[in-house]
Amino acid sequence: MDYKMIPSVCSYCGTGCGVLFQVMDGKLTGTMPMKTHPVNEGKLCIKGWNLHEHVVSDKRLQTPLLKKDGQLQEATWDQAIQTTAGKLKAIIKDHGPDSVGVLASAKITNEENYLAQKFARAVIGTNNVDHCARL
Amino acid sequence: MEEQMKEWLEPYSTTDYKTSTFETMQEQAKEWLDQGKVDLFLGYKMVQGHPLPHFFKKDNLDEVDDLIFGQARYSLEKIATKIAAEHPEMKIGLLVRDCNQRALNVLYVWNQLNPDNMETINVNCCPSKLKKHADCSYLEPEKYGSYKKMVGIDNNMEVEAAEEFSQEERYNRWLYEFQKCLKCYGCRDICPVCFCKECSLEHPDLIATGSIPPEVPIFHLVRAVHMGGRCIDCGLCEDACPSDIPLRLLYRKVSETVEDVFGYKTGTHTDQSPFNLLGDEVTLEPKPL
Ligand code: SF4
Ligand code: SF4
Ligand code: SF4
Repeated sequence: MDYKMIPSVCSYCGTGCGVLFQVMDGKLTGTMPMKTHPVNEGKLCIKGWNLHEHVVSDKRLQTPLLKKDGQLQEATWDQAIQTTAGKLKAIIKDHGPDSVGVLASAKITNEENYLAQKFARAVIGTNNVDHCARL
Repeated sequence: MEEQMKEWLEPYSTTDYKTSTFETMQEQAKEWLDQGKVDLFLGYKMVQGHPLPHFFKKDNLDEVDDLIFGQARYSLEKIATKIAAEHPEMKIGLLVRDCNQRALNVLYVWNQLNPDNMETINVNCCPSKLKKHADCSYLEPEKYGSYKKMVGIDNNMEVEAAEEFSQEERYNRWLYEFQKCLKCYGCRDICPVCFCKECSLEHPDLIATGSIPPEVPIFHLVRAVHMGGRCIDCGLCEDACPSDIPLRLLYRKVSETVEDVFGYKTGTHTDQSPFNLLGDEVTLEPKPL
């Protein structure tokens, strides 16, 4: 039997509320507000309270999906990346880089978000970068 | 209230008291773990500069030297119910303030924890109508602004004072408070005595779904009614409320009614609750009013 409280920061919005992840026997079972955190002082919004759900949800994708014959089918990462790269190249060639937009996410790290915008600007060549919290 | 709190704090505010209390409780917890009286001890430890709930175990007895208590107050007993649900035989030691102890009593009454599996080390704290003496200033009332005082309900008000408003004014003031609700369910999620598998607050026939604020005042009143015979006035709900709604005051009124009608002082003992209806027969016995 093992039970831990892991301090972390809510990733859903820019507020940055302090949370505690409750981990029982290695499984994430809940989220609680951190009472002494200077940002939220023991309070959370409904998203913060349910942070663990997007980690443990059954609906969470475990493998990439590719649409074949109108149906989403499981694929390997290599297939998914090759297909996406090929299609992006074709679209950019036909319609220009501004026909592509990159949507970054609150649920990835700062560094990953930096990479996403770098990819948009330096690789694709567009300033169309936005963030899920503004959608 | 503030004056009273200062008075309560006085005898326990010296560091000497804290140090000796820390040592005594650390020794006690070590002994229990070592002798197998408890399999695990729930208390607090400083982690990354924050006092966090922590689980001490026999295989790391030296760590018990880090066992502390301080101003941060978590519902350790609620955590214990989660552990007990998965590991019913586990013997759990718990650091309890008076509010934790009251919550434990309610959890025993409602069969959420087995008192035979629980051992507690008591630390004195938590001012409440159910426990006057306190040595923690955590609940020292926050000061509220003049707008709230003008149109809403000051969270530090006593039930009697809140009842002095005319009925219409009282209703409007409470509506002002309820309409700030974000429907975060934090009041329920943090509450040590909220353990129902199906929560009425999420029942679409009782409370309309899909809007913020939730249907008022029904959302808050449904919860208030359900706190009858359960709420032990710990104030954790109000602490967790991002909208500063005076929830504790609301539930205090409910508890007062439960006491007036059934003579039942929730959490101060482990007698059956008047609302614990088992079998087909209704045995509720209201006192003559
Ligand atoms: S709990 Fe809510 S307000 Fe706080 S960081 Fe998460 S999403 Fe933002
Ligand atoms: S004061 Fe709030 S959190 Fe504490 S027992 Fe009552 S309803 Fe639950
Ligand atoms: S904690 Fe406050 S804002 Fe959240 S649901 Fe309860 S009353 Fe509403």
